[in-house]
Amino acid sequence: MTNDRVPPSGLPDPVRRSLFALGGLGLGAATVGFLAATFRFLVPNVLYEPSRRFAVGPASDFPPGSGTFLPDRRLYVFNSADGFYAISSVCTHLGCNVKHIGRGFECPCHGSQFDENGQVVHGPAPKALAWYALSLSPRAQLVVDLDQPVSPEFRLRA
Amino acid sequence: MSQTIWTRTLTWFDGVRRSVCRVGWPATDKDRAAAMISSLFLHIHPARVSRHVLKPTYTFALGLISAILFVVLSVTGLALMFYYVPYPAEAYRSMKDLQFVVTFGIVLRNIHRWSAHAMVGVVFLHMCRVFWTGSYKRPREFNWVVGVLLLLLTLGLSFTGYLLPWDQLAFWAITVGTNIAAYAPVVGDQVKFLLLGGHVIGATTLLRFYVLHCVMLPLAMLLLISLHVWRVRKDGLSGAENHASPTEELAGVFPASTKTYGLMAISKRPQASVEARDPNDEVFAWPHLLYRELLIALAVIVVLHVVSLVFMAPLEEMADPTRTPNPAKAPWYFLGLQELVSYSALVGGVVVPTLLALALLILPYLDRGTSGSGRWFAPERRIANTIFTAVAAAFVGLIVIGTFFRGPNWAWVWPWK
Ligand code: HEM
Ligand code: FES
Repeated sequence: MTNDRVPPSGLPDPVRRSLFALGGLGLGAATVGFLAATFRFLVPNVLYEPSRRFAVGPASDFPPGSGTFLPDRRLYVFNSADGFYAISSVCTHLGCNVKHIGRGFECPCHGSQFDENGQVVHGPAPKALAWYALSLSPRAQLVVDLDQPVSPEFRLRA
Repeated sequence: MSQTIWTRTLTWFDGVRRSVCRVGWPATDKDRAAAMISSLFLHIHPARVSRHVLKPTYTFALGLISAILFVVLSVTGLALMFYYVPYPAEAYRSMKDLQFVVTFGIVLRNIHRWSAHAMVGVVFLHMCRVFWTGSYKRPREFNWVVGVLLLLLTLGLSFTGYLLPWDQLAFWAITVGTNIAAYAPVVGDQVKFLLLGGHVIGATTLLRFYVLHCVMLPLAMLLLISLHVWRVRKDGLSGAENHASPTEELAGVFPASTKTYGLMAISKRPQASVEARDPNDEVFAWPHLLYRELLIALAVIVVLHVVSLVFMAPLEEMADPTRTPNPAKAPWYFLGLQELVSYSALVGGVVVPTLLALALLILPYLDRGTSGSGRWFAPERRIANTIFTAVAAAFVGLIVIGTFFRGPNWAWVWPWK
């Protein structure tokens, strides 16, 4: 069992084999790294979207007892006896705009119904409508923060 | 003198032609058979095919029609790209331009749109044909898997294309569709974010869908169709072994004892398609198969033109994220899922489609017996056929309900009222 073939590289077989293994490993690692980098590349760092935190107007625009639909923000802003609160109009089922009907909300797409707090009463929507934190800017503007969901107990006292 | 110049010119042109085609127009069966093997474009056919392959009632040419539709879609899609701008309001305006300003723009748009709808239906029917004839059995298991991937790619292409006109129909169909993706466990929200390139459908989303629709998915499709058709070529069409009806045509050209020739002769693997068959049952692919294919391509193109001159592709008002149309419907082939989703988003949007796709992918590795393969509705396959037909019918039934029987608020309506 003698291997008298001399490889052109002049390296003994075991060395060549481990060099190949090293090369293969390097190629594999480079491929995985490249795929990971491409994947990360596809996740945007800057979003050219409307800001997630925005003013919706002076608090005085929302008189006591009113409920106002802001279609561009896909948001309802209410002013109740104990303060302001904001409920999303985005149906938690598949994202249609819910309509404020009577005391609750109804979705035109698959007929989900929500009560006045946005809790699901009926239909395929799996969870309640989102509530977002409200605050007052120094110039008495109502400010909504979509990155700050809150519970239905939330009220902003003006 | 002038005689020599003339001859030399002719020889020169003939040299150019020969550099392209190598052989002259094949006049004999043998030359045509050689051309089938040596030409890049023709060699996806064998030189000879079983008579059985030509029977229109075996395949109904559904795979061929799928491929023709893909070519039509590529050509018309490339043409549309010269005018289409993938940026929200501009996108809608370029659709309006195509419809009212660009000469023949409306015809191209209609052909592209209707071919896309047709392709979803035809690919589905092709899958049904393959199932009902038991053609996914050994050795074709993996080609069935490639086929399932092609079906998914077809749906992906239709779905990404649906957003591009940027009208109300597009916007809300994609809203519903991408929100379904968000129901996937664990990764759902990230998948949606990646797909949209943000939290809401906007310019980034449109660009992403555009690149997927115009470059990535068509390239993947081209690659897989090549693989798919190449494997059909290697395995031969199923069912040929069930039909033996000797013909005389080949006798004069190939001695009966020669069963392989040309490339087949040097192939290392035993070619079931060549050696197992009786050569007397075969005819030449050119003209018999080739002319039939050209005829079908012609028929498909004529039908597409007639349909596209009569029926206009829809274009609603520009996308308006503040106003949800009532009802908001996904593309028709997803309405079966949307109907399920209207009961439970998780079940209809994630569980059922995932299970269906997985079941289709592993089907040929579960149903392994080979009896009853290559024939329509073989009695040996009654159970398999019944299950498949029931699932397919349920799916079609749900689509019909979602399309015709669902009105505002997804409430039940009677279409004739
Ligand atoms: C873009 C979509 C597709 C294209 C262009 C395509 C094309 C073709 C063509 C040209 C054939 C030759 C026979 C015929 O014309 O019927 C064929 C056969 C076949 N296709 Fe497809 N196909 C597609 C999708 C599918 C799907 C969705 C499946 C199954 C899930 C599938 C599974 C098969 C199998 C197993 C064969 C071999 C059938 C036999 O030998 O009888 N294909 N396909
Ligand atoms: S999106 Fe509201 S019920 Fe489906």
